[in-house]
Amino acid sequence: MKRFTKKLLTLSSAIALAGAVSAAQADTLKIGLAGPATGPVAQYGDMQKIGVMAAIKDINAAGGINGMKLEGVIYDDACDPKQAVAVANKIVNDGIQHVVGHLCSSSTEPASDIYEEEGVLMITAASTSPSITEKGYQLVFRTIGLDSLQGTLAASYIIDKAQPERIAIIHDKQQYGEGLATTVRNVLEGEGMQPVMFEGVTAGDKDFSALIAKLKKENVDFVYYGGYHPELGLILRQSREKGFDAQFMGPEGIVNSDLAKIAGEAAEGVLATAPKSFDQNPVNQARVEAIKANGEDPTGPFVFTAYAAVELMKSAIEKTGGTDPEAMADHIRANPLDTAIGKVSYDKKGDLTESTFQVYSLHKDGSKSPVK
Amino acid sequence: MTETLLYLIQQLINGLTIGSTYALIAIGYTMVYGIIGMINFAHGEIYMIGSYVTFIVIAGLLGMGMVSLPIILIIALVVAVFIASTYGWTVERVAYRPLRGSNRLIPLISAIGMSIFLQNYVVLAQGSRDVALPPQITGGWTFGDPAVFEVSFSYMQALIWGATFVTMTALTLFISRSRMGRACRACSEDLGMTNLLGIDTNRTIALTFIIGAALAAVAGLLLGLYYGVVNPFVGFIAGLKAFTAAVLGGIGSIPGAVLGGLVLGVTEALTSAYFPSEYKDVVSFGLLVLILLFRPSGLLGKPEVEKV
Repeated sequence: MKRFTKKLLTLSSAIALAGAVSAAQADTLKIGLAGPATGPVAQYGDMQKIGVMAAIKDINAAGGINGMKLEGVIYDDACDPKQAVAVANKIVNDGIQHVVGHLCSSSTEPASDIYEEEGVLMITAASTSPSITEKGYQLVFRTIGLDSLQGTLAASYIIDKAQPERIAIIHDKQQYGEGLATTVRNVLEGEGMQPVMFEGVTAGDKDFSALIAKLKKENVDFVYYGGYHPELGLILRQSREKGFDAQFMGPEGIVNSDLAKIAGEAAEGVLATAPKSFDQNPVNQARVEAIKANGEDPTGPFVFTAYAAVELMKSAIEKTGGTDPEAMADHIRANPLDTAIGKVSYDKKGDLTESTFQVYSLHKDGSKSPVK
Repeated sequence: MTETLLYLIQQLINGLTIGSTYALIAIGYTMVYGIIGMINFAHGEIYMIGSYVTFIVIAGLLGMGMVSLPIILIIALVVAVFIASTYGWTVERVAYRPLRGSNRLIPLISAIGMSIFLQNYVVLAQGSRDVALPPQITGGWTFGDPAVFEVSFSYMQALIWGATFVTMTALTLFISRSRMGRACRACSEDLGMTNLLGIDTNRTIALTFIIGAALAAVAGLLLGLYYGVVNPFVGFIAGLKAFTAAVLGGIGSIPGAVLGGLVLGVTEALTSAYFPSEYKDVVSFGLLVLILLFRPSGLLGKPEVEKV
């Protein structure tokens, strides 16, 4: 027993020493990078990683921030709310105070509670659910517009341009998808357009034949889908097999080349709202080239929103002269900044004051083109 | 025919197809349970591996310039069945056989562990993203007036119905008529006694796992082609649904597994058809609870007689 206690003491002092050593290395600043690195939506995690790593590389190449180098540390939440909480706790335990992430709204929301409580600055480059910033948190920001903006844009496109006769709204029963679908429905109903269907499917399902038969029976000519690409891809593919040819539209969660891989020909002409293509922005030309030279894809919707998140952190550290998350948050809220995604300014909730979404038409080769 | 009737027919076709997919996987579940009274949770993962192998073989053969679809499918089937059976045999040898004779819960935990292991192993080996294959078998029959409602029944759906029926019949015959089948039945009645009578029970059980895995591979091939998409997590969900189907039909009974699958599939399709589709799982699992309340051993299961 005595020997055991002794061992335990040695062990704990060793751990304490290790802690002291890492605290002493103040010349690198670790930035937590939280999002799905595995799981069905890992593509989006990759986009975020590409953006953050490119920004860190650029900043370090220019000498760092006040001589301090940045280092990105990847944490995988697999877009699972439970794992996101574990990841957030791990980030706090690892002593990281600056996080870019999380990605899926349903992961970001529970994680943000932990960050706010533990004094960690969090900037999400992809989560668009309005409820994330509705809790009055001081340390939570995003570099992407809200679902409500995206949903409103989709709805106004449907009313003004698409003008369907019978519209159905389908969602995946998750926070992101259902939130968007609800916004679209509310705006449409406000304008006097009544959807003939408003229904949820189960994420991870493979068979949508019953749903498609129902859409066909209802003579639906336009479907708005709130959710991610794996389910929509299958819905498109099975619709084509069953001869159901309505116009489909979705949010930025369907915008990636895997949609075309799953749906094949049926992906041609699908509409989507997504952040503007920042890779087309002349400001980012050198960055786009650098990312391409690295063998990575700069066209994903979250690449430059993630890049901008790092830029915001850099500027806040430079201006406040330290890495204190609260001082940085006050600075970011008070001072607009020119970033890779244009001028970024915040309201007091931590939301962008300007919307950056646009309607795109997707193609079967995985590319997209803006719709006028 | 009226629109209502055509719509009902279409939803029944959809439901029977979904049900057949559950049944194909459920047959393997129920067979292993019937012989050794153990739920093989890794069965869904073997199905998923079967799908992956099919995709890899088909993509490879198409890449090599082979055009004849029947030959490609036969090669894919043979390779998938072979590899999946190897996995089935290995899983039994490594994770279940050493635990034979211990408390019933221990192989169950081992099975869950095996399922998680295989799933993560495929994530590491193949990546976690959806892998897609262009449609291979296209076309089908349609009937009904297009102006009212057109019912479609694709060749692929017909193939799935056919395969389910054939495997069910073949397995039932195998169990009831063949010599090996008799050994299987003996094992399920009394493992210890069968052993004493000079039947190699380890070999019989290994064979059960191999057949179960081969069926999972057939399901993997058909469903992989039908949906055109596979990811490392399909096995878990499919396994859960198939397990439900097996319990519903009476676990241990092969026609029961098929009936359970069909009941589950048709319930799902009809719920989606006439109620908002979010209630699909609520209704089908509510039905499961109801059936088990009144028939605890499932639709076709024999009432459990406690051995003394």
